[in-house]
Amino acid sequence: MSEIATAQDEQDARRHLLLSSPAIVIMILLGFIPLMIVVAYSFMAPGDYGGVVPKFSFEAYVSLIFQRDMFDDTLTFSSSYLEIYIRTAVFGVATTIFCVLIGFPTAYFMATRPAKQRNLWVLLLTIPFWSNLLVRTIAVMFIIRDEGLINTVLMHLGLIDRPITLLYTNFAILLGLVYSFLPFMVLPIYASLEKFDFRLVEAGFDLYASRFKVLTQIIIPLAKPGIVTGSILVFVPAFGAYVTPLLLGGGSHLMIGDLIALQFGSSRNWPLGSAFSIVLMVFVLLALLFQIRRSGQVKHG
Amino acid sequence: MSSITPLRAAKGGAVSILSVLKDFGNFRAVDDVSIEIRPNEFFTLLGPSGCGKTTLLRMLAGFEAPSDGKILLDGTDISMLPPNKRPINTVFQNYALFPHMTVAENIGFGLKMLGKSAAEISSSVEEMLRLVRLENAGNRSVTQLSGGQQQRIALARALAPKPKLLLLDEPLSALDLKLRKSMQIELKRLQQETEITFIFVTHDQEEALTMSDRIAVLNGGKVLQIGSAPDIYEHPADRFVAGFIGETNFLEGDLMSSADGVGTVALRCGPVVEALTAKSVASSGAVTIVVRPEHLELVAPGSPQAVDATVEQIVYFGTDTHVHARLSDGTALTIRQQNRPGPKEGIAVGRTIGVTIPPRVAQILKD
Repeated sequence: MSEIATAQDEQDARRHLLLSSPAIVIMILLGFIPLMIVVAYSFMAPGDYGGVVPKFSFEAYVSLIFQRDMFDDTLTFSSSYLEIYIRTAVFGVATTIFCVLIGFPTAYFMATRPAKQRNLWVLLLTIPFWSNLLVRTIAVMFIIRDEGLINTVLMHLGLIDRPITLLYTNFAILLGLVYSFLPFMVLPIYASLEKFDFRLVEAGFDLYASRFKVLTQIIIPLAKPGIVTGSILVFVPAFGAYVTPLLLGGGSHLMIGDLIALQFGSSRNWPLGSAFSIVLMVFVLLALLFQIRRSGQVKHG
Repeated sequence: MSSITPLRAAKGGAVSILSVLKDFGNFRAVDDVSIEIRPNEFFTLLGPSGCGKTTLLRMLAGFEAPSDGKILLDGTDISMLPPNKRPINTVFQNYALFPHMTVAENIGFGLKMLGKSAAEISSSVEEMLRLVRLENAGNRSVTQLSGGQQQRIALARALAPKPKLLLLDEPLSALDLKLRKSMQIELKRLQQETEITFIFVTHDQEEALTMSDRIAVLNGGKVLQIGSAPDIYEHPADRFVAGFIGETNFLEGDLMSSADGVGTVALRCGPVVEALTAKSVASSGAVTIVVRPEHLELVAPGSPQAVDATVEQIVYFGTDTHVHARLSDGTALTIRQQNRPGPKEGIAVGRTIGVTIPPRVAQILKD
């Protein structure tokens, strides 16, 4: 009996392995190997015209926070990259927060429409994806530049005499990031609210809860899986954003993504670019671990 | 926190529903309903689906506002109060327990929203768990509970804030028969122990009969009859009530005379019977009488004052047997006989039997 069961188990295990092998092969080819190449590059020296020289070196990691003097080789602390890390983290977190603040009411609105209308709202939400991110970002530039829609309207209304500088500011970057990633927040929250049993809201009111308490004690906790998923979907790409800060920040408010592109491009320092990529990934992983642990605790606590 | 303080009152509240109307667009869900519900009463709203009973309950809870009329609780007009300002709690049909909270958090939710202290909440939660006999379930997740247990937690949650009025919206409909029977007894016990006024909504006439102090039968948004279970069963006000509550037989006839609540009716099928009559029945003319299957008696065919019928079907129920028969004019008749030990009488499908209606058990319906 037990022998038969063991043989059966072995056969099952073999079958599972075989069936999952395409996925495993793809993950190794497209995920693991490129990642290992990046890790390897980050420990090498830069070639003169890009690429790497296969020579072991910590130099890329050292230059993340130190600047090497050109003449006497002494290391001095440099905050210029650190500022970019911090700015990236702040933009990542701020984008996520604003996306939750705007995305939750939007998703709630969509989920409370009659069932027939909901698909239309989802469709409307996906319209921005029909065009390229670059085009959409440039469109944002046209709206917020000095001669753009906002300033023109405000001046015509006589509210301001001179255009307010909006483009090439931190505000512009944040606006661009929130605009680009908002649908990634709305859709998962909508998905969890659509399944939400609104009779629980009635039960809450029946048990003396105010509107605010119903929102914070019943609706938000039950929409939490959607909020967590949305936050990950927004935070991760916002953290590595490249086009938005480059265009809307005018090159003066760089994020890690731009820095990486710069190293592989005009700076021709592939090891440093690789080291930045690793740092970015570690940040994202830490943030995700933190978030997963927190949401896990709430569930069990 | 909340402007109302509930109610440590020992007794449940009195409810006056005064000429309440509710329209949804062109559809009148509740049509001029007036009901007086006494303190500490187990009151049932009974009717088929779509009769307006759930809408009426939702107006009592505050989820719908009456289009016209008033609802008073202990003399105070509550018609326009939002649900969270009414000292009224509801047991929902699907229980509507909060899935992200433990059993104890669910039960304590109402008290927490009322701003009670943690100590007060936890002692009340314990008391409620004892009341519904789930003492050790406090830390469990509500999703781990069986249907019957969820039902008890929903009850405990609604009772914990000690409301003046507890509304129950078909709370037993999702349970299997055996559990439903035991919950019926349990509900009655809880109502007597807590002394809270219960308003129970159901479409199940048996549930209504076994638990209620009084029943209001609704159909098409109107109240057809209000009375105790025996009142409604034995003296149905009209054809709908008679047909909806229990099995019954309708027979056509002519009223010959009536006095002191007893009328003499000459049935179309032959016999002349004495039947009970309400005051509003005319003193003569065509009438319908209603007689319960258990009140009919089987006799030998051709007996005096008996009507002959052909047996079409015999259904054995354990405690009793239902004999479905048909008169020569096509009228269907059901006779219920209690089963006794010993050999059965010679009733068989296709045979002719005699049926008599004892005096003063049939009821004359108003038209």
